[in-house]
Amino acid sequence: MFDPGRPLTGVRVADLTMIWAGPYAAKILADQGAEVIKIESPRAWDNIRTLLPPPVAPGEHWWNTNFYFHEYSRNKKSLSLDLASDDGKAIFAKLLGHCDVVIENYRTDVMDNLGLSYEWLREQKEDIIVVGMAGFGKTGPEKDAVGYGPIIEMMSGMTSTSGYGDDGVPYKSGISYGDPIAGVCAAAAVATALIHRKRTGQGQYIDLAQREVMSTLLGEFYMDWSMNQRLPEHMGNGHDWMAPHNVYPCAGEDEWIAICVRTDGEWEGLKRAMGSPEWAERTEFTDQILRWEHRQELDELVGSWSSTMSKTDVFDALHAEQVPSSPVWKMLEVLREPHIKARGFYEPLRHPEVGIWAVHGWLWRTDGAGPCVLAPAPEFGQHNAEVLGGLLGMSYEERSALEAAGIIASRPEGVPLASEMPATPSML
Amino acid sequence: MSEHDQSQPNVSQPYDGVRVLELAEGISGPYAGRWLAALGADVVKVERTTGDPSRAFGPWPDDLPDDETSGLFLYLNGDKRSVTLNLDTSDGREILRELAASADIVIESFEPGYLADRGLGYDALSKDNTSLVMISITPFGQTGPNANLPATELTLYAACGQMWLTGHPDRPPLKNGGSQPSYQAGLNAFAAISGAYYGAVMHEQGSYIDLSMRETYAAMAEAFHTRASQLGIETQRSGNNLNALWGVYELSDGYGGICALPRNYPAFAEAVGLPELQEDRFADPGQRLLNNDELMAIMFGWFIGQTREDLLQLGIENRVPFGFVATMEDLTNSEHLHSRDFFAELNDDRAGSLTYPGRLWLSNGHDWKMGRAPLLGEHNVDVIHSELGYEREDLVRLRELDAI
Repeated sequence: MFDPGRPLTGVRVADLTMIWAGPYAAKILADQGAEVIKIESPRAWDNIRTLLPPPVAPGEHWWNTNFYFHEYSRNKKSLSLDLASDDGKAIFAKLLGHCDVVIENYRTDVMDNLGLSYEWLREQKEDIIVVGMAGFGKTGPEKDAVGYGPIIEMMSGMTSTSGYGDDGVPYKSGISYGDPIAGVCAAAAVATALIHRKRTGQGQYIDLAQREVMSTLLGEFYMDWSMNQRLPEHMGNGHDWMAPHNVYPCAGEDEWIAICVRTDGEWEGLKRAMGSPEWAERTEFTDQILRWEHRQELDELVGSWSSTMSKTDVFDALHAEQVPSSPVWKMLEVLREPHIKARGFYEPLRHPEVGIWAVHGWLWRTDGAGPCVLAPAPEFGQHNAEVLGGLLGMSYEERSALEAAGIIASRPEGVPLASEMPATPSML
Repeated sequence: MSEHDQSQPNVSQPYDGVRVLELAEGISGPYAGRWLAALGADVVKVERTTGDPSRAFGPWPDDLPDDETSGLFLYLNGDKRSVTLNLDTSDGREILRELAASADIVIESFEPGYLADRGLGYDALSKDNTSLVMISITPFGQTGPNANLPATELTLYAACGQMWLTGHPDRPPLKNGGSQPSYQAGLNAFAAISGAYYGAVMHEQGSYIDLSMRETYAAMAEAFHTRASQLGIETQRSGNNLNALWGVYELSDGYGGICALPRNYPAFAEAVGLPELQEDRFADPGQRLLNNDELMAIMFGWFIGQTREDLLQLGIENRVPFGFVATMEDLTNSEHLHSRDFFAELNDDRAGSLTYPGRLWLSNGHDWKMGRAPLLGEHNVDVIHSELGYEREDLVRLRELDAI
């Protein structure tokens, strides 16, 4: 029966991606029902497995357990396979006959260096859909540039648009924003290519440059440059015509609430929420234009009101008056925020070695869909027997020989158990 | 695509012949519709009679406001057809129902309940069109206690948790540039529609999707939410420098930076060439984090002597993740991006010569259309008269009744 939340059921994906951008794309495909086989070499695994050493990653088999890996690789299967070896490549060739999609986010030259060019992939499966997600794309003078999310953000123009405005310093996002943006786009590219294949019988090669996808989120800035040769100003948390429009301090340490007033009606609402203070009736605050001109003073006055209360109390007062506002939620707080909880956005992930914690569920909610998270991220090589034995018909003896030769493995090579490791500081 | 097979014929656009009804304003829905249009879909944009409010957002040439030259609108609505409809009139609703009967995809961004209250919800529109895919894009989704809470880009950014992570640790949290909550939701909507439409093509069964802009953005919080859940610890914002090898630095002619994982260190140290970088206190990954402040001071000193272009080239030559803070001017002039046909270059009668991102990816199987955006109601006659069969006199009457 058709499961509306999993429209990609029946699609099989060979997932060669690592870190975040590619795994996020493959995760979206897996959530939608595709069978995603994550392929890692015993000697070159997804680096995210071991980027966060114990005790950040809990448990003895710590390469299987960290939160980052699970957030972006749940619902996938794991096949460990050395694609650099002849035997590994021969097995991959057989597997490709059963696959619809190959997706990778290696550096531009890696697939060709491994002998896994598009031409070779097509020889194994003529209508294969291949997505390459190199940061800067597969062609052009900068194709060999490498970069993780913040570099993508800088090179896309995004970082140039953000900053407090008083110091001239451009600010990057607090996350590797380039990664998930490219990942969502790659998931769209795969579904689009599947539609195209259904209609024409043909596969295709998709060269998706992470930097370019990010740059499409800046349309109005490109237009301003074309039309007026003007570059964006750093606006801080301000707006070019709304005021108040900022984050305001609340009681406690580093507690903030975002408040925006778009209309005179919302200004009246804000005044009521503040208990109709006398200062709000001053002539310099009577209309939108005047309030914007006096926004600095207005920000101080609104802040002196908000700073006496908790951010949830300020929010409740503003919510009652339908003034756009939101507490600046911290990470622990978002998990417990009533609206997001009522919608079940976070779902429990159950892991045999670690227990239960929350990961995000459906990015979008399809009517009639059940839970999103059906399985934790796979242990290294967890599905070797299922894929090699079940799908490709290899015997137990054949698989044992491959394991003995180091072509497949149940553990990344050279990674000690947690109990064998000295304590090391971590990046995150 | 010079490295790949170019001989394969360009058979068609992936969404050729697919009919999309866009009942969405602003950025999110139109962004999704824009790419469907560029990939061949017939996107009929239904505007209120005064037009999509983004027509009033600018930027405009020489800062002269004009509904037909708003840069934001022109960017988001290329290759669509525009029809005006007033959904508060029964004629307007009837025409919408007729349009939906032949639609494959509906994109809407009204506040929750708006369409259902007018008899235009998914159940009504899909009754005789069971393979219809419909997506609703709203700040907080269709359900839950705050579904109808008013929102702006800033409040959504705060609500999803990302604002907490962005900005200097000693200053207030900082909004990132432009309208990211809306844009990222539009990109997610495009992914949702493409997956659901594939399901509809395969199974001849449609689906209804509820997309919350806040949730798609929360999912991008780089695992910091799930980190809080698994480990029970809060994350603090780190400004431009998470550590010495992950951040933004001032250069001699602007800003740039590095984002290196431990495995990139040897190539980085080699490329920079300072002898102290080879010492164990920096070269050993564990010791490096303990000596982070010292390393960062060295890096501030080194980066200030680099130019943006030299830094990028050094990165390319040594496979080190260096980059610089590029501006719209840099990007519009980029030889790399032009060599990859990234830009649409349009000479618009009213708005002049425009250069803007014209595609998402390169494919050897299809092209991207890069045409102009429609004038308000430009296709009323095409769609309502020629396709739906209303007489020309009907159009006059509909206009008088304020329905179109």
